[in-house]
Amino acid sequence: MYAVDSPPETQPAPPKPQPTHRARRRNRSETRVPWLLSLPTLLILAALLAYPLYRMIVLSFQNMRLRELITGLTPPWVGFEQYTKALGDGVFWGVVARTAAFTVVSVTVSVLLGLSIALLMRRVHAKVRIFMMIAMMFVWALPQLVAAQAFRWLTDSDFGVLNYLIDKIPGVDFANHSWFVNPWEGWAVITALVVWAGIPFLAISLSAGLTQVPKELLEAATVDGASSWQSLRNITLPILKPLLTIVTTLSVIWNFGLFTQNWALRDGHPEPVYQTLSTFSYTQAFGQSRYSYGSAIAVITVVLMFGVMVFYIRQMFKIGEVD
Amino acid sequence: MARHDEGVVTVGRSRTGTFFANTTGIVFGLVMLFPVYWVLNTAFKPDSEVRSFTPTFLPANPTLDNFKSALGEELFIPAMINGLIITAMAVAAALVVGFLAALAIARFQFYGRKAIILVVLAVQLVPFLALLIPLFLMMQRAQLTNSLVGVALVYLVLLLPYTVWTLRGFISGIPRELDEAAMIDGCSRPQVFWRIILPLTGPGLVATSVYGFIQAWNEFIIINTLNSPEKQNLMAWLLYNQTERGTAWGPLMAGAIITSIPVVVFFLLIQRNIATGLTAGAVKG
Repeated sequence: MYAVDSPPETQPAPPKPQPTHRARRRNRSETRVPWLLSLPTLLILAALLAYPLYRMIVLSFQNMRLRELITGLTPPWVGFEQYTKALGDGVFWGVVARTAAFTVVSVTVSVLLGLSIALLMRRVHAKVRIFMMIAMMFVWALPQLVAAQAFRWLTDSDFGVLNYLIDKIPGVDFANHSWFVNPWEGWAVITALVVWAGIPFLAISLSAGLTQVPKELLEAATVDGASSWQSLRNITLPILKPLLTIVTTLSVIWNFGLFTQNWALRDGHPEPVYQTLSTFSYTQAFGQSRYSYGSAIAVITVVLMFGVMVFYIRQMFKIGEVD
Repeated sequence: MARHDEGVVTVGRSRTGTFFANTTGIVFGLVMLFPVYWVLNTAFKPDSEVRSFTPTFLPANPTLDNFKSALGEELFIPAMINGLIITAMAVAAALVVGFLAALAIARFQFYGRKAIILVVLAVQLVPFLALLIPLFLMMQRAQLTNSLVGVALVYLVLLLPYTVWTLRGFISGIPRELDEAAMIDGCSRPQVFWRIILPLTGPGLVATSVYGFIQAWNEFIIINTLNSPEKQNLMAWLLYNQTERGTAWGPLMAGAIITSIPVVVFFLLIQRNIATGLTAGAVKG
């Protein structure tokens, strides 16, 4: 049913008769038909993706402000000014560093936890496994924005249940504790939300991958006296590696583009310490009407992200070639 | 579920280890579910109980007032209808357009096939948020801001790559021998399409459209940027409602539940596909 299962394309080589006029004509239509079929998709992608991408780059070399937006005049050209402004600004570098640090921490934690949960699912009783699956499915299905609202409510300073529970610990006073005054705590909440919401995808994909690891191999290793750590390192992980690469790359792409979670948790007005590249570009463009500056930041973001995308595209392309 | 136990290693496992694993698994499940539970719990509490410094773990006086209040909000029902219209337009267009491209990639060997695959995969990774500024300017020039069609167009592009990629998988799953047999029996190419490929891709079309529905239904930044409050969807309503008038937690949580119901239901229906679609063939790759 899925790409994985589809049979390899072993087309028997067609007998090659003399190329008649008719055969040649059919050949030409063989090329024309698939291009015609793909044309609508390509046109739409060009109009609403490629062209905006081009416009974004052009815009980043101009200075588009509210005045140009309203009058429709061509904004003045400023060359690399937006870029030098961004790259020479400590605030911008702070945002880059924060986004990168968040990505590294959140991806590391989610992938390690996801892998542990996947391994745990292979060890527990079947009924426990079903319960874990159901729990994760509900979390996964929850829209990001709803999940963020749920965390906003859990960590509310006055009525949040988190403060209430922590306050129960003897000697700890957490009544009316505000989680977002101290950025370390605020980022811990954001990270917890991102990890919590990301684990289902990771754990379920990886546990599906683990079923591909031959049981006989692991059992033989155990009989031969290998520790579980050795089996994991030398048998399971190498087999899981392609899948791990993909899910890790996807996590990097998603978490690097962090927007919804800190946007919702900070009521749509993230303070400077809660800005990431996405929210920064957005607030600069639509909050401050610095459309060109926002574009320059978006271009830099895309370039940074592209480094990561290469891995993903390579892996996916390999799969695309198989069938 | 004995099927699931196949491939589970049984050698060298201690009883205490299994007990420990089971306990950890149950605790993990409970921790994961807690925030979801807390949303539900809050939605059924009267306001006095929501605003209590001692939270109750079960509503003492369960009520449906929060749901009534959310549904009664001025912009709630319009937002729901807007969301449905936009989603339907985007999904329908993505299916038609995407199916054709998927057919080309799955059933034809032609010059440029790989290039098309690469384009479809690569655009999936362009962060849409980055394109929001030029998209906003384009839509404004085309007088498509503050319109449902404008948002639907943007969503169409959002859905298209995944639609092409997934449908391609479904079409390649249909044995080519069927096509060939039909052609030998005198079917033309278009007939093969209508009589064989389209009916057999039915489940794939359903799964793909449900996935598209979830994507479009969950989006809020694009619509929030392009449209005024009257032309929002439910997700944007959730965000708008929180900032405009302080937070009425009970109705907000009730609204969050109403907003998520279609997504959760659809998601649970096609959950196998989502994971497979995203990482298709990765293990073999």
